[in-house]
Amino acid sequence: MSSLSLQGLRRTYSATVAVDRVDLDMAQGELVALLGPSGCGKTTTLRMVAGFVLPSAGRVLIGGQDVSRAPPYARDTGMVFQGYALFPHMTVADNVGFGLEMRRVGRAERATRIAEALRLVRLDGLAERRPAQLSGGQQQRVALARALVVNPSVFLLDEPLSNLDARLRAEVRVEIRALQQRLGLTTLFVTHDQEEALTMADRLVVMDRGRVRQTGSPEELYERPDNLFVASFLGRCNIFRGTVERPGRLRAGTAALPCDGGAPGERSALVVRPERVAIVPGEAGEGGLPGRVGLVTYLGGLTDWHIDTPAGPVLVTRPTPAEGDALRRLSPGAPVRLDWTEAAGRLLADDEHTADKHRQGDPR
Amino acid sequence: MPLLLLPAALLVCVMMMAPMVLLFRYSLNLYSPTQLMVEALSPANYLNAVRDPYYRDVLGTTLWVALLCTLLALAAGFPAGYALARMRGRWKAWLTLLTIFPLMVGNVVRAAGWMTLLGNTGMLNAALRGLGLVGEPVQIMYTTGAVVIGIVTVVLPYMILTLASVIESIPRSVEEAAANMGARPFTVFRRVVFPLSLPGVVAGSALVFILCMNAYATPVLLGGSQFKMMAPAVYDQFVRTTNWPFGAALAFILLFVTLGLTMAGSALLQRRYRG
Ligand SMILES: Nc1ncnc2c1ncn2[C@@H]1O[C@H](COP(=O)(O)OP(=O)(O)O)[C@@H](O)[C@H]1O
Ligand SMILES: [Mg+2]
Repeated sequence: MSSLSLQGLRRTYSATVAVDRVDLDMAQGELVALLGPSGCGKTTTLRMVAGFVLPSAGRVLIGGQDVSRAPPYARDTGMVFQGYALFPHMTVADNVGFGLEMRRVGRAERATRIAEALRLVRLDGLAERRPAQLSGGQQQRVALARALVVNPSVFLLDEPLSNLDARLRAEVRVEIRALQQRLGLTTLFVTHDQEEALTMADRLVVMDRGRVRQTGSPEELYERPDNLFVASFLGRCNIFRGTVERPGRLRAGTAALPCDGGAPGERSALVVRPERVAIVPGEAGEGGLPGRVGLVTYLGGLTDWHIDTPAGPVLVTRPTPAEGDALRRLSPGAPVRLDWTEAAGRLLADDEHTADKHRQGDPR
Repeated sequence: MPLLLLPAALLVCVMMMAPMVLLFRYSLNLYSPTQLMVEALSPANYLNAVRDPYYRDVLGTTLWVALLCTLLALAAGFPAGYALARMRGRWKAWLTLLTIFPLMVGNVVRAAGWMTLLGNTGMLNAALRGLGLVGEPVQIMYTTGAVVIGIVTVVLPYMILTLASVIESIPRSVEEAAANMGARPFTVFRRVVFPLSLPGVVAGSALVFILCMNAYATPVLLGGSQFKMMAPAVYDQFVRTTNWPFGAALAFILLFVTLGLTMAGSALLQRRYRG
């Protein structure tokens, strides 16, 4: 029995289909991230689980029980809202204790559990403060404590890190994950930040225009995307369009590119991650893709090379070579050859609209 | 900024403060049937007003009618204000307009409307008798009930709009957070919405209470000659008996009682629900 199960979930607003046929089964203690661009239906999905939005079709099951039509107060979910939604007229302790009070937990036990929850989010000592007297990061942790303290069947977070600055975000990310694992909470997490999703989640659900495009572990989705949308939304990628010449070779213009199989004659898109591309200085050598160096971006540990090739611009990311290495001395205009293994070239159906928008898209 | 306040400040000084100061000065003068007003510095008018059981009665009636009307307006205005605040789009604009619509009709005109509706030969009684529900006409006009209904309908828009503007500033997600934590709708209201609406409750109630205390046309037209509230009593002194000093004293008693109770009530409500 799944801890949380969404079955054919759908929600429409007059002509808009906000969420369409979303299926998901979550195991106890699993953290799943709903990931997708703004407006793809993540929040609406989460709110259907919490009970703030009723599905137009489909079912929500919590612990095997159909709660599709149950009011929010009867669902036993703990939600962290995007803007935290703390009760401004209550102290931190009363905010955290509210859910316990609603569950008729006695005063003494309540006090213990509030103290414990505040310690868990490292806010002990601030129990008597008002939300307005706290920093954004502290408010965020109060919101976490408030949702955690009731030990909900499902823990829900809607972009909980979006209001924090970059440094705090990385820190809280780790904290939330640690708490979630320690407490064994079944967690559904909404984000549009792929890095957040990749680093935190056991599984990702990538959504686009209300639909699920692929569900799987971060590794599965990054290494073996099902479609161009997922490939280009998660991480950066090079996309080549062409016709399969023979299994393992895609013809794109004058270039024959290595790919993982394919049926001869098939129109396809080839996706190669920039860190899978090998780069060799000079014009000599057989096979591979010849090109000339364009922009070189030094990123510290990594370096980006933008290479102009007959098959279009290609992005290559590699650990920055040691000083004195021939690669290090490549300047714009220098000839190079690019190559990758057949396994690194993922062949996908050519799905026009999504691809161009995200071509070589920077993750941020 | 201070420059921007100047026009309003001048207007208040000239149009409000000056007559008030003058009126207060009058209230310390004495009345003579022949000379009308005699210069003096005497508390006699205030003492007479407070000692006279008739005026104590008038003040008492004024107070409890005002209090009752304020409570009724709050009870009726809160759900309406909440609904208005949470409404979106075109409906909201229309309903806001509908709420202020009654304010476009003067109090006298409205009271006249109530008279034709509620009088012994009015529409309501005609309907009741036509249906054979009553034999004799039901006396509605010239009762306290008629005055209360009349005043509440006058002040309700002020209450609704004041509450709506404050409730609008409460994020919906705060209510949702309470529901998510297991609070049923009434608990959400009691623990979250009401305490957070308190500034609106205080402001709306104060505004409405002041309006009720000073009601004039409605008690005169719907209450009849036997029913007396303070504002009509003040008017009587100025116009009927031409006893300006006593009228001025009554006016200031009304002012101070209203001010005192409004401030005390606000402070009490704020303290009680803070936290
Ligand atoms: N209450 C609503 N009324 C009308 N349209 C809505 C409503 N809520 C969401 N939508 C629409 O549904 C789509 C998905 O919205 P949402 O779930 O908020 O996306 P996300 O959280 O992924 O950014 C959007 O196109 C949005 O405009
Ligand atoms: Mg959203």
